[in-house]
Amino acid sequence: MEKANIKRKSSEIEEEEIKENVNKKIDTTEKEKINDENKIGKSQEISEEEKKEEHFVHDVYEAIAPHFSDTRYKPWPVVDKFLNDLQPGLIGIDVGCGNGKYLGINKNVYIIGSDRCSNLIKICKERGYESLVADNLSLPYRSDSFDFAISIAVIHHFTTPERRREAIEEILRVLKKGCKVLIFVWAFEQDRKKYDEQDVLIPWHIPKKKYLNKKSLNKKDYTESEKSEHLVKYERYYHLFKKGELDDLVDQIKIGKVVETGYDRDNWYVIAERI
Amino acid sequence: MRLITHNMLQCHVKGCTKDNFPLKLEEIEIEELEAEFNADFIKSMLNRLDWKALAQTTFSLGIAQLPEEMPEELSDEMLEQLHHILLEIDITSGRMVCQGCNHVYPIRNGIPNMLLTESEV
Ligand SMILES: [Zn+2]
Repeated sequence: MEKANIKRKSSEIEEEEIKENVNKKIDTTEKEKINDENKIGKSQEISEEEKKEEHFVHDVYEAIAPHFSDTRYKPWPVVDKFLNDLQPGLIGIDVGCGNGKYLGINKNVYIIGSDRCSNLIKICKERGYESLVADNLSLPYRSDSFDFAISIAVIHHFTTPERRREAIEEILRVLKKGCKVLIFVWAFEQDRKKYDEQDVLIPWHIPKKKYLNKKSLNKKDYTESEKSEHLVKYERYYHLFKKGELDDLVDQIKIGKVVETGYDRDNWYVIAERI
Repeated sequence: MRLITHNMLQCHVKGCTKDNFPLKLEEIEIEELEAEFNADFIKSMLNRLDWKALAQTTFSLGIAQLPEEMPEELSDEMLEQLHHILLEIDITSGRMVCQGCNHVYPIRNGIPNMLLTESEV
C-alpha cells in the first residue's frame, strides 16, 4: 500500500502547476474545434448571457458576500420543514447554498452545499459545513445519486428561460428517481412592492467601512457621490417569476414533475420529483 | 472535504464519460476531525456510496485496506473504522485528477473548486 502523502505545505498550493496541467489536457486541435463551434450560431448569444450573469450576479456576490451573509440567518419555514421532514441518513445537496444558512438545519442528514461564489463558500467552510465551488448548470456529481436537493433563491438569477430550465434539469439529473427538490424563486406578485417588468436589477447597499477592503474598492468604478458616502451600491439581476411560470419550466423537463406548488413571503416555490 | 463528498463527485468536463469516477486524490493534506459515532447513519451512508470507489480511494491514500466488495455483515469494529474514514478525515488541500481526461480539480483550504473553463462545459 502506498503511504499517504500527508504533509504540511503553504496554502499557496502550486497554483501555476495546476493551471499548466489544465491547459495541457485539452490538446490544441480540440481547442480549435471548440472555438470554431463557438463562432457559429447560438453560442455568441450564450456568452452575452453569461457575461450578464457574471457582471450582475457572480461578481456582485463575490463583492457583497460578508455583508450578504450577515443578513441571511433566519430560515424560511417551508424550507425548514422540507429539510426537517427528511429521514435520518439521507444524502442531499443545496445548490446555490450562499452562506450555508440551510446546511446545518437537519443534523441527521448529510448535505453538500455548492455555490458559484467562492467567497460565500469560504463562509460555509468557516462555519464547518461541507461545501464546494460549482456551477449550477454543470454540477460535478454522479447522476441518480442524491436523496434530496434544495435550490433556494437561485434560479431567478439566470437570464433566459432556457438557462433557468437547464439549471433545474441539472439538479434533477443528479437526484435518484422518486426523490425531490424544493425550488424557491422570487415572485413578480409581491405584497410589499410592485414591479413594472419581470427582468430587473435590484440594488444592494454595503456599508463601505465595515465590509469592503481596499482590493474590492478598487475593483469597482465609484461615482463621486459613492466615494463620499459610506454606502456602496451594487446591482443584482433577478427574473421575477409570475404565477405558474416555475411549474411550467418543470413541466418542460422530461425527467421531472411538479408534486407541490405554493407561494410564501414574496416567493413562488415548487417541489419537483425526479421521474 | 470528507470522503463521502468525494464519493459523490464525478468529472463533468463535456464529453468525458469514461473513467470519470472516482477522481484520483493527489498531493493531499489531511486533518483529523472528531465526529459522534452513529452506526445507523454510517450504514445508511454505505448504502448510498459506491463501495468500490471508496475502497480504491482509501487504499490509494494509504488510509485503509477495505475488502473489494462491501461485506454483508459489518462488524462493530468495521463500522467504527468506516465512521472514521467517512466523517473524521477532512481533506484540506490537494487536487483531484480525472482518470478519463486528466482534468485537475484543486482543493484549497478544504474547498474543492469544481468550476470548468468555458470551453470545457
Ligand atoms: Zn474527465
